[in-house]
Amino acid sequence: MRYETLPLAKINLKDERFRTSYHPDLDRLILSVKKVGLLSPPLVCQGDKGFTLVSGWKRVLACREIGLSSINVLMTKEKDDLNLFLAAFHENLATREITLVEKAEIMRKLLGFGVGKKTLLRSYLSLLALPVTAAHLEALLGLSKAEAAVKDFVREKDLPLPIVQSLLRFTGVEQRLLLPLLRPLGQNKQREILEDLREIGRRDDVSLQEILNDKEIRQALDSPKLSPIQKAEKIRLSLKRMRYPRLSSCEEAFDFALRKIRWPKEIAIRPSPYFEDEDISVSFRFKNEKEFKACAKKLQEMAEKEDFSRLFRR
Amino acid sequence: MREPRRIMKAAYPNKIYIDKEVFSSPLTKRILKNCPDVPAEVIRHERELDEWLTSSADPIGKGKKYLWLRRQKGAFIKPCPCTPAYIGCNYFIINAALNCPLDCSYCILQLYLTNSLITIYVNLQDLWKELDDFLQKKRGKFIRLGTGELSDSLALDHLTETSKEFMSCFRGKNKAFFELKTKTTNVAGVLASSPAENIVISWSLTSEKIAGEEEGGAPPVIERIEAARMVSEKGFSVGFHFDPLIFYPGWEEGYSQVIEKLLRAVKPSRIRWISLGSLRFPPALKPIIEKRFPQTKIIYGEMIRGRDGKLRYFKPLRLELYQKIVGLINYWGRGQIPLYFCMEDIEVWRKALKKTPKRKEEVELILSPRVG
Repeated sequence: MRYETLPLAKINLKDERFRTSYHPDLDRLILSVKKVGLLSPPLVCQGDKGFTLVSGWKRVLACREIGLSSINVLMTKEKDDLNLFLAAFHENLATREITLVEKAEIMRKLLGFGVGKKTLLRSYLSLLALPVTAAHLEALLGLSKAEAAVKDFVREKDLPLPIVQSLLRFTGVEQRLLLPLLRPLGQNKQREILEDLREIGRRDDVSLQEILNDKEIRQALDSPKLSPIQKAEKIRLSLKRMRYPRLSSCEEAFDFALRKIRWPKEIAIRPSPYFEDEDISVSFRFKNEKEFKACAKKLQEMAEKEDFSRLFRR
Repeated sequence: MREPRRIMKAAYPNKIYIDKEVFSSPLTKRILKNCPDVPAEVIRHERELDEWLTSSADPIGKGKKYLWLRRQKGAFIKPCPCTPAYIGCNYFIINAALNCPLDCSYCILQLYLTNSLITIYVNLQDLWKELDDFLQKKRGKFIRLGTGELSDSLALDHLTETSKEFMSCFRGKNKAFFELKTKTTNVAGVLASSPAENIVISWSLTSEKIAGEEEGGAPPVIERIEAARMVSEKGFSVGFHFDPLIFYPGWEEGYSQVIEKLLRAVKPSRIRWISLGSLRFPPALKPIIEKRFPQTKIIYGEMIRGRDGKLRYFKPLRLELYQKIVGLINYWGRGQIPLYFCMEDIEVWRKALKKTPKRKEEVELILSPRVG
């Protein structure tokens, strides 16, 4: 290997064989190069059409963005694609956080360079801090083949692999339908929606499109008054009712009973999780005897109401 | 009398692996004698088997085609673990084998087995000694033990012939109720033995639809009932386990038919107990079931996380299921059959069986033999 100064225009950026970065954020790097210059030269090899960039994509893109005409590079004589890719891989592994989409791309490229799945499983998953299971490898390879919109979503939302796995169980067309629904939600709710949709589909032998054509869901989707987050939340609740009809109706009946007896807001009341126990718990805060007595009086008033017994119906 | 068919061909393994330590054990020799056409190989390190199995796309399915004969290094007898926060039944399990040739979609072993081969612990001398000590300690107390928790008690009995030995061991020990629990019709060994009041041969039953779709390799329920009839007419007590009860469209009709057929074929007075339990499993089993049984729909029922963290049907649904089944059993069994729940809580006991056991010892009392 030797250091050389190379015109930027001579580096063939269309050849992305060894690239491991996916849609990097360059702002900080641009600022750094502007302030102190390019301190660490990218790794380059001689290709058929000019010079091929092996490692240092972000650095080269930042330099191009700034408008530099030439940069210092480290030129390698290595010709073997796998060895070149491994050089890029290990350099990136040691110097930065690798995103899930990038991990997926790395696995796909290693497979393309002739590394077998067994070796990927045994030698590379743990290097990327992922559980060493065939299911995780398949999920990564699935993500590497996903449409750009899905990859962008995974990157933007920093989704963990289990949610990505759930999303990838749907077809490409279905994934596109799902992205706007999932976008406004947090990860727990995203996971819940994906799980419910898939399980309703499996249980009832219906497609995603058919589920989304449900009257309530359609109304939410088509409503001009609802914000994206309101739509997503309404759809999540509709799906929950479809997936867990008896549980949902018990929860609704409990809430209805509370409204009917005008349960005081300052006293929290909770049935056991999923009504698995018969117990119902109440809790309230008080600072002194007077406040305590006021809450106790309200509880007594609740217990005397005719509809109080509704709270115990299942 | 029609001879019930032996279970499927698969009950003869593709190959037998033998731990070098137990090559000369009497049970190893007996199994090899009963499998003259099956190749056998002595294994020096279990690791070799692990690597061979895990390289398979379906190690669980693959393991069911091979026998692994080895020594039980731990205790053979253990209290049934039941599940936290629900009422147990004070049962003891005898771990003489692990895994079985049947391939039920809901089987919990799919999650727990590290080595998925059908394992038979061949150091029976250690087992008889441990059993003697155990029964000595429990002398005078009513106890229930069985071999059907981590394996099917009879699925491989044509190879091991251990049912006869177990029955001999328990014969005359009247306070120790020994249960052989099976889904098969492999009862030749049982029928060739003399019955005893404290030996209970029991079957796991379900509807024909669930048996056909979810219990791979197991005979139809009607054949299990026929085997039970023959065994009960021979003079044995019999038991039945409707576990797991599963919701599906038409479940009422499906279970109703089986219960009617069962209680027309087997006299209620010969039935020592019937247990009921609904489908339940740890959440981690769900992806395994989805992968191994992509056609199954049983995991998409309305299941919630119970107190023990396992997925189980929402309680009003469980109650609906149990109340229907209990009603049918009480109707056809004329209210004579002791019933109990596996892994349920006091509310379910109270609402479905009108009983309120607070501890496992009280469940045991419900199942203990009626005096006189």
